[in-house]
Amino acid sequence: MPGRIRKRSPLKKPERPYIALGLEGSANKLGAGIIKHGPDGSTTVMSNVRHTYITPPGEGFLPRDTAQHHRDWALTVINDALSKAQISLHDIDCICFTQGPGMGAPLSSVALVARTLSLLYNKPLVGVNHCVGHIEMGRQITGAQNPVVLYVSGGNTQVIAYSQQRYRIFGETLDIAVGNCLDRFARVIDLSNDPSPGYNIEQEAKRGKRLVPLPYTTKGMDISLSGILTSAEAYVQDKRYRPDGATASGSDDIITPQDLCFSLQETVFAMLVEITERAMAHISSKEVLIVGGVGCNERLQDMMGIMAKERGGSVFATDERFCIDNGIMIAQAGLLSFRMGHRTPLTKSSCTQRFRTDEVHVAWRA
Amino acid sequence: MVDAAEGVLALEWIDGKSVRFLLGGGAEGEEEEDAEDEEPEDADVGGQGHDDDPLSEYGVTQEGVMAMVGAEIAKMHRADIIHGDLTTSNMMLRHPRADKGLQLVLIDFGLAYTSTLVEDKAVDLYVLERAFASTHPASEPLFASVLRAYQAGMGRDWGAISKRLDDVRLRGRKRSMVG
Repeated sequence: MPGRIRKRSPLKKPERPYIALGLEGSANKLGAGIIKHGPDGSTTVMSNVRHTYITPPGEGFLPRDTAQHHRDWALTVINDALSKAQISLHDIDCICFTQGPGMGAPLSSVALVARTLSLLYNKPLVGVNHCVGHIEMGRQITGAQNPVVLYVSGGNTQVIAYSQQRYRIFGETLDIAVGNCLDRFARVIDLSNDPSPGYNIEQEAKRGKRLVPLPYTTKGMDISLSGILTSAEAYVQDKRYRPDGATASGSDDIITPQDLCFSLQETVFAMLVEITERAMAHISSKEVLIVGGVGCNERLQDMMGIMAKERGGSVFATDERFCIDNGIMIAQAGLLSFRMGHRTPLTKSSCTQRFRTDEVHVAWRA
Repeated sequence: MVDAAEGVLALEWIDGKSVRFLLGGGAEGEEEEDAEDEEPEDADVGGQGHDDDPLSEYGVTQEGVMAMVGAEIAKMHRADIIHGDLTTSNMMLRHPRADKGLQLVLIDFGLAYTSTLVEDKAVDLYVLERAFASTHPASEPLFASVLRAYQAGMGRDWGAISKRLDDVRLRGRKRSMVG
């Protein structure tokens, strides 16, 4: 067995400070972030501003309304980011924006802002894959070297491992994303969407006592979640279900919304931990990096931590500033590829809703 | 083998290496580092520096190993055993011995179960295909030869499995639907 092989990163240290503006709007969060890469190899988050489009309980966000929200807030958020960073747009080296995957209408409204700024200030554009943004920001913040990445959010559920300049997808959801599954269940039991439905599910789940049986659907390296959602929804019609479960005494045979949140989380997260563990075993990595909005969930972090500890490894996770969609991650991934010489010409700056993680050439890693 | 009543656990030592290692799927604990502070090593393109093929001591080509993989999986599926976690890490090549020649050994049946369903066999193959694609980047011709050997091993059953495998490949999200 050869010892540890050290690979040299193709990314050279910058000869001068580079600053990038990142714009994100692939779902209901509009984010603008400014990042600086210093000549000493340091990375500084100069500002990270986000505004979330929150819908009333029982409703999800629709593409048209979300795009309108982004258009209404774009200037405020970008100005805010610039003033917090205390720089002007003239000082920036490139403008990075999310090119996909995501919802079409919000994506294109933010891309339009990016193109306009690029033309007004004569700055190059860099299109960024949203998933790669999450991964790069997670690596930067946590310092994880070569982790297995679990990317869990409202639109994506993937287990990713890096190999030869690509982030390769090991396993993924076959139907809906895990965040989508939780959010939609939150709608069924009328939880608030503020600050996020997933957060409220997590709080409810802490008071759940009963683990109701739900299907456990891993399929090879992949998982399927839509059937679990349907099963969880079916419990709401069960005659044992009490929407106001808090008033019952412990001995009654009832199912409360808290029990359902708890059961849903436990089942779904166990599946995620299983496929992540298999990817770790296969590539012999001892590090797991959890990114994406669902990555904020402390129960998921705990469960992953137990698994990683048993394998003698560790979990890297970030807090809501970097887990939940934000502009800074787009700036980070965009600036890395900008420093490798990548530019997105105006004619190629259209967005795509289907932009797989493994389509991106990761030029900045060995 | 486990005999709980007698308190016996039997293990077999397999004298060999994992197929993942032998195909150059990366060694454990690779690290990246920043570009500077290091003598330039021009020869080390891509970082792996294969001077000698680790397969040479087994006297077999990559193609040959792939054929063995395919044949071994076919043998297992003919017995209606689904491995559940087919990856190149879970296959070992055992050094040739006097009584038996070179052997390919499947290990880690922790997720295995029995099933006669075409679906389960196709998913089993699909897991392997994904594992190939994610660890052995230039894997397509390799996996094709696995399937050829598998096809030969499965005989008549191959038709249905092949068709299902094509279906399984189409699952998943955000696939490019062009063409």
